[in-house]
This record gives sequence, structure tokens and C-alpha cells, in this order.
Amino acid sequence: MRTGVAPWRNPQILLWAVLLVLLAIVTVPIFWAILASFKTNMEIVNQPFSLPKTWNFDNYVKAWNLGNFNSYFWNTTLITIGGMVLVLVVACPAGYAFAQMKFKGNNLLFYLFLLGMALPVQAIIIPVFYQLKTFGLVDSLSGVVLVSAGLALPFSVFLMRNSMKDIQKELRESAYVDGASEWRAFFSIMLPLAKPAVVALLVFTFMSIWNDFLLPLVLLISNDKFTLSLGLLSFQGENSTNFGLIFAGTVISMIPSIIVYLIFQRQFVEGMSEGAVK
Amino acid sequence: MSTSNMVVNPSPVSGANKVAYKGKSKRSFKRMLVVFSFLAPALILYILFMLYPMADAVRLSFFDWDGAAPAMNFVGGDNYTQLAQDPIFIKSLVNNFYWVLLSLLLMILPTLALSVLIGKLKRGKMFFRAGFYLPSVLSLAVIGVLWSKIYDPNYGAINVFLRQVGLGALAQNWLGEPSVVIPALVVTSTWAFYGTYMVLFLAGLQNIDQSMYEAADIDGAGPIRKFWNITVPSLRNTMNVVVSMVVIHALKGFGLVWIMTQGGPFYKSEVVATYVYKAAFSMNKVSYASAGSVVLGIIVIGLTIAFNYWRDKGE
Repeated sequence: MRTGVAPWRNPQILLWAVLLVLLAIVTVPIFWAILASFKTNMEIVNQPFSLPKTWNFDNYVKAWNLGNFNSYFWNTTLITIGGMVLVLVVACPAGYAFAQMKFKGNNLLFYLFLLGMALPVQAIIIPVFYQLKTFGLVDSLSGVVLVSAGLALPFSVFLMRNSMKDIQKELRESAYVDGASEWRAFFSIMLPLAKPAVVALLVFTFMSIWNDFLLPLVLLISNDKFTLSLGLLSFQGENSTNFGLIFAGTVISMIPSIIVYLIFQRQFVEGMSEGAVK
Repeated sequence: MSTSNMVVNPSPVSGANKVAYKGKSKRSFKRMLVVFSFLAPALILYILFMLYPMADAVRLSFFDWDGAAPAMNFVGGDNYTQLAQDPIFIKSLVNNFYWVLLSLLLMILPTLALSVLIGKLKRGKMFFRAGFYLPSVLSLAVIGVLWSKIYDPNYGAINVFLRQVGLGALAQNWLGEPSVVIPALVVTSTWAFYGTYMVLFLAGLQNIDQSMYEAADIDGAGPIRKFWNITVPSLRNTMNVVVSMVVIHALKGFGLVWIMTQGGPFYKSEVVATYVYKAAFSMNKVSYASAGSVVLGIIVIGLTIAFNYWRDKGE
């Protein structure tokens, strides 16, 4: 790079400036909502793009207590954690079997799982509803956990199988020769080596279940079982003109996924580009 | 994956090694149990909540059932012939394909351009990648509610802004105007999903051999020529993935439509998924809705397989 060039002639600085402006435009809706959640309705109408005069948390307190966001939040947390645990426990051994074990029909079974990645939820949601009805699991959190995990499974098995395939077979075989059982080889060798993939899997599952809309919409009926997504929607219906209140609910719903994303950004993004391109 | 995984033991069963074979088959049975112990939980969950419902949706679609009656009437392909004559179902399908087209237009080139810009950065790539990805982290409920407020005819950010800069004549009821509602929804969905495609493009850009650009520099090629002659062809693979994902995603769209318009006004933004949902859960036409969902499933799976086939062929 030459020195003494005016900053606007430096392409890197220009690029930064252009991208910063674009980023500001793209994220305006998010900041508009955050600012509005601290405002009174009068301010939202009259000064929609300014900072709030006072940062008051009234809208948040109201949404959390009167708007039931308190209960929506815990329901979503329970469903998400339940789903993550179930996916983890089920998908890791299956991924291991497909990646490392020799058995008849390995490919065929794996393709059967891949089929699930193409299958749209909309195509099976009706039978799933009546199926859960016969199990007595409609309008229950555990029903949502089970189905969410089932739906997350094809991608999860795919991800775990691909990451465990890259791990050298010799490592496992050496443990095998030492007399370790297949399960011990799995727990003591494979799982620790596949840790980055396991983290990516957990982040993905968190995002997809925490943010899910269709499944809870179909499977949950009473307000005290609602997740944040459903709660936000019904809250919006009840307070359709109270923007400040609605935005407080919106911000409460988006904070956890933003935090998880910011912490695990790298694993998430890398897992995604690997999963899709392979 | 190599086919060598399908190992069988073709040891001949002759008198001499019968005993040995017996031991082997016992061992191989034990081995099967071990394999099964790894796979069984996943298989059970998968069969229970995906494969079985898939078959059940097909079965239901050949009956006439309201979701409550104890008996079902077999009606053969009646539901499908009805669908083919149902103006709202056809309208929904057309809307889906209009959505696909608009998504492709809005999503691909702008996202690619953005990714190329980010890819040119010497410092701060991670920062911009993380920042631009932010909308994709939000739930559809959050995005839907947020954007219905942005589009609000009276207090929404867009109309308020237009009036403030003296363009009040352009302000309108974005989600209530029949000709604007789908483009408005597609803008929202582009905002919601471009992040994923940006990440894919960035990954693809990283794999391009930099020496090709250096060679082009020597030939005196400008940035636009380099873009069309090097960047775009090198991204062929990524482009295939992205196009197929955009198409399939647009066909499956449900959440944003349901939250923002419920298919209105006058079915102008109705898509197959919302129509099927209404038919099944508020009109009690369960088997009819199943037929609609099977049609959607066949289109989506068919396209997925076709895209994969083209991709493999292109390689």
C-alpha cells in the first residue's frame, strides 16, 4: 500500500465505509424495534427514529408479567433443552455407526435418513398432529420435544456422520485391538475428537427449536403452554396498536438467540458452510 | 462413500470349517446387535415422527375424513381431482411460484455482490460476516411481527419515513394492497434468509484460486470482467446449492405469511402451506388438506432430487 494517499482513495477504507453503511441499513429494523421498546406510544408516533427521551422499562415489565412472557420464556427453554438433549443422545451414536462401522445396508439406511432432509414439515404435520393426539401428547411440551427432535434428526445424523468420517479409522481400531468395546471406543475416542461438530450440532438444534413456529402452532393449544413465538403472536393480536409493548415482547424473544449466536458464531457459521456444501 | 462398507463374509460352508462358520455367525449376530444398539434410537424416532407420518399423509389423502369421525370413507383420488379444480389451491400454487421467482431475483445477485465485497476485505471479514448474518438468527415470529409493524400503514417505519422526506404519495398499505403484498412479503423473507446464502458464498469465494485473479491482472482485466469470467464460473457449485435452497425454501414458506397476512387480502398472498394449514385445522377438511400437503411434498422432494442430480452431473 502506498503511503500518503488520501483516505478516500484507499480502496480498503472505502470498502469499509460502504459495508458499514450497508450494514446500518440492513440492521435498521432491529434497532428501530429496540429503541421503540423503550418509548411511549406518543414518542413512537412522533419521533420514530430518535433515541427515547427516557429509557423506561415499563413495556418490558408489563410484557414479562402481564403478557405472560415469563411463562413463554420458560416453556421455550424447556422444549429447547429437551430437544437438544434428545438429538444429542440419538444422533451421535447413529452418526458414528454410519461413519465408522461396517454393516450390511449402511449406505441404504443412510440415504433413508437423507430423504428426511428433503421432506418438508408441512407434508407430515397433519398426521403428526393426529398421531400425538392418540398418544395424548397434544398440548404438552414433551410432544413438541419428541417431534422437534425427530425433525432435527436427518440433518443431525448427516452432520455427525460427516464429521466422524474424517476421523482416522486406525484410532478406533487400535482401541478395538486393546479389547475396548464399540461403545467404549465411541465414548472415549470418537466423541472427544468430534467435539467441534458436537458443539455445532448443539448450536444448530438450539436455533431451530428455539425459533420454531409451525410445530408449536399446531401442537400447542393453551396459552400457558405457548412458546415465545406463539406467545408473541397472540400478544401482538391483543395489543395491536401498542407498538412499545409489542416491541418489548419482540426484544425479549430475540435476545437469547442473539446471545447464543454471538458466543458460538464461529462454530455455527463453519458448521453451516460444511453441512450445506458437502 | 465407497461400497466396500457393504462387507459380507462369503466363506463357503463346507464340512471342514462348519464349526468355525457357526462361531462366526454367532459373532456376526452379536455384531449386528452392537450396530443396532447404535442405530436403534435414531431409527425409532425417525420412523415414528417422519417416515410413518409421511406414509400416513398419503393414506389419509385417499379418504374422506374430518378429523373426528370414527369411520373414514375411501374415496380414491377424489381429493386430488378436487384440488385440481380448486381455484384457491391453484392460486396458492401460482403464488408459490411467483414467490420463487421474486426470491431468486432479490436474493441471489445482491447477496453475491455483498459477499464479494466482504471477501475483498483485508481486515474485518469476521465482523461483517457476523453483522450481516444477524437477521437470520431471529425467529420467524420476531421477524414477522417486526415487519408487520414496519409495514404498518399509519405508524410503520416505511410510511413515516416516506412522509418525512416528502414522498407521502408513495406511502401505502403494504400488506393490504393486492398487488404489493407478495413483493412486500418476499422483501421480508429475503431479509430473513439472505444470511445463510452469504455464508455459503463466502465459503465458496475462499476456495477460488487467487492466482487466476493475478493472471487476469497481468492481462489487464477490469473488476467487472474478473467478476463474470472468474468469480461467477468458479462459484458454479455454490451457486447450484444456493439456487436449489432458495427455490425449495420459497415453496415451503409458511411462517412469515401466516404471521403477517394469513394469506390475505382475498387469498392474494395465500400459499400452499397456509391453505393446507387452514383446511386441516380450521375447516376440518383433514383428508383434503393431506392431499394438498402430499402435492407440496412431492414437488419439494422431486425438485430436491432433480437439483442433486444436476449437480452430480455437472461435476
